[in-house]
Amino acid sequence: MSQKEYSYAMDIYPQEHGEETRLWSFFDNLKQGKLTTTKCNKCGHIFWPPEVVCPQCLSDDLEYVDMPKRGRIYAFTVQVGAIPSGFEPPLVHAIIDFENGIRIISPLVDTKPEEVKVGDEVELKVVSIPPDSHGDRVLFFFKKV
Amino acid sequence: MRKVVLVAGGVNKWGRRAATFRQLVAEAGKACFDSNPNISNKDVQGFILSTAYAERTGVQIHPAPFMAQTLGIHPTKLYQRVENQCGSGTTAIRTAWWAIASGYIDMVMCVGAEKLLIPSHSEIFFNASAACDKEWEGCFGVNPPSLFAMAAQAHMRKYGTTEEQLALVALKNHTHALKTPYAHHYESYQKRGKVTLETIMKSKPIAYPLKLFDCCTNTDGAAACILASEEKAKELTDKPVYLIGTSQICAHGSWTLAHKDWSEWPPLRMAAKQAYEMAGIKPEEVDLAEVHDCFTISEIIETEEFGWCKKGEGGKFVEEGLSDYGGKVVVNPRGGLIACGHPFGATGIAQAYEIFLQLRGEAGERQVWDAKIALNHNLSGLGEHHIIVYKKGFD
Repeated sequence: MSQKEYSYAMDIYPQEHGEETRLWSFFDNLKQGKLTTTKCNKCGHIFWPPEVVCPQCLSDDLEYVDMPKRGRIYAFTVQVGAIPSGFEPPLVHAIIDFENGIRIISPLVDTKPEEVKVGDEVELKVVSIPPDSHGDRVLFFFKKV
Repeated sequence: MRKVVLVAGGVNKWGRRAATFRQLVAEAGKACFDSNPNISNKDVQGFILSTAYAERTGVQIHPAPFMAQTLGIHPTKLYQRVENQCGSGTTAIRTAWWAIASGYIDMVMCVGAEKLLIPSHSEIFFNASAACDKEWEGCFGVNPPSLFAMAAQAHMRKYGTTEEQLALVALKNHTHALKTPYAHHYESYQKRGKVTLETIMKSKPIAYPLKLFDCCTNTDGAAACILASEEKAKELTDKPVYLIGTSQICAHGSWTLAHKDWSEWPPLRMAAKQAYEMAGIKPEEVDLAEVHDCFTISEIIETEEFGWCKKGEGGKFVEEGLSDYGGKVVVNPRGGLIACGHPFGATGIAQAYEIFLQLRGEAGERQVWDAKIALNHNLSGLGEHHIIVYKKGFD
């Protein structure tokens, strides 16, 4: 079994490709530099995390909508211990609030830990993560504006 | 609904154990049967195994039948494994409660166990991330230390809670565990002396503002208890401990969907109110509480949401000694998750066992004077709470 096949079941990252997930468009959008989420065409609910059924009205008539370009830090931490395998400290985790009411928890990159403050504005930074057997993978990190 | 009673309990030695998951279960199960000579393993009709990581660190998929077999139990009415991460133990006891209260079964054994200290330390924290919303949150390496650190930051910002107040929770709980021989850290107190405020304040940073001593300890451990109907309990013991109130809430899964202000825990407030109402008691009637101090900040917020002090004054509450012996409510008399360690599936059951001892007046040097009512709380996230209230004696 190759390392890539092993990672399918055991690594921490999401399955992002059409062969593995019905939410592949979310990851395709992300690869093009766009953070999106799912909106319900029946009840209008825009929600996070993306799903294939609306958690409000259970409709499966959904579309992808763009997330606001920038968010603000509600809280953050610089994690240097209890680091999971595959990650390197320091990890600057942040709780980020967007004006559409959505909250995302994601790490900051390209940002010095000592320069982070509550209330700081951040923007998307797409980062490559290890590929799986179906190809490249990316995730939505953020950086200070 | 029939009344339900705790009639036996036991724990094994917690720590870095040279023993398998199954052997941990055997030790705690034996201790539980040894606590009540009127109960034989042949009498137990129901068996519930509580474990969160059995598949990843145990290592055993479908562990319940093997663990029942190890204890010579052959369930004829009920057997299952329950998993609710850190709240698995209280979940097991609640499940046994319903089965007995309904009249379906007379006696159920709950055993909780976890083998966490596997050779690769970073894999332990990998598992902690995988137990968060893996696809959308855990994939970034975020795990409970970083998440509770952000709750601490929110509480410090809003209420002025200090790092020293956090440290005082750890100091209190490590001091309690000086009298708890099964605690993970017990031997280190003998070898290195007791934990001081300075040790805690100078311990290495984990996730700002949380330091090593603000965090509970991953450990290998097991615990067991037996519940019976009131009628059956009268044949088995003259010192029963009644289950009188409970609640459970799951306000969210993903942490991004928790309430917005992390210094407030409204789901816990709601669950506490429900449990108090069912038990017919007021917050001030609780003599001792086994609450979920997975991190020091958790205990501070919990003392507020349970109504033992005003919202925002949890830091002051511990500072003034009001959560210690001689205070308003003795919080975590055995030393909590911080000093005993936190073998997830075993924790809630070990807390119930502590309450069993306390309400029977059998807690030795840890005894809370004249304890009549005790509360047990586990959490599995900011919005996931499990509460059980216990009362002493045949009433």
